[in-house]
Amino acid sequence: MTRSSAITLNALGLYAVAMVLAVAFGAQLLLHELPCPLCLLQRIQFTVLAIGPVMNIRWGPRPSHYALSLLAAVAGAVVSSRQVLLHIMPGDAGYGTALFGYHYYTLALLAFIAAIVLLAAMLLFDRQFDEDRATQVGAAGAFAMSAVWLVIGLTALNVVSTLLECGFAACADNPLVYELLKR
Amino acid sequence: MEFTLLFLAIAIVMVVAWWGPRPLALGLFAVVLLACVATYLHHATDTLKLSF
Repeated sequence: MTRSSAITLNALGLYAVAMVLAVAFGAQLLLHELPCPLCLLQRIQFTVLAIGPVMNIRWGPRPSHYALSLLAAVAGAVVSSRQVLLHIMPGDAGYGTALFGYHYYTLALLAFIAAIVLLAAMLLFDRQFDEDRATQVGAAGAFAMSAVWLVIGLTALNVVSTLLECGFAACADNPLVYELLKR
Repeated sequence: MEFTLLFLAIAIVMVVAWWGPRPLALGLFAVVLLACVATYLHHATDTLKLSF
């Protein structure tokens, strides 16, 4: 795999993270379901996961950048596993609406596991690390740059959304209203 | 409130990763990841109601 192919795949990874964040926003706004603290922590891990690809696009692919994403994916898998276990008892309806028969945290666990596998697969291709780093650093195309700014924008939207939901205190375990929009 | 700060910190790390020096981005990433783990441990004090 060449350096430019790896950067394109990293950009695709960023678009995948952006899609996850956008779907979560869609569920929040269209279904009027506010994310719980563990749900927010999973969103946070998806955004942390995106930092590795951002650095790969900016500085060129490096094993250390993939390691950052692996750490974030493992942390995300731990958080989503906990929420799956919290709702594992028979008769428990789960938290929030199910999408394709699975709740958000179950899909998040599957996504984090898929991310771990895909990141490990990316590390198998040594040629992406071989080329002269000075030649292409910072020379990302519009496709990759759009992915970076899309993820940064969605993360900034989450800052606003979480501030509206939680206000300036601790977030409620089962949030029903936006704290800052309460009349 | 802690989640808002985490999202804000991550957005800052992303901007630094894109525009700033690489060592600073790596250092900030480590701080954010540790903050995430600390937040998780803080919220993971509820008893797990397992079915076995």
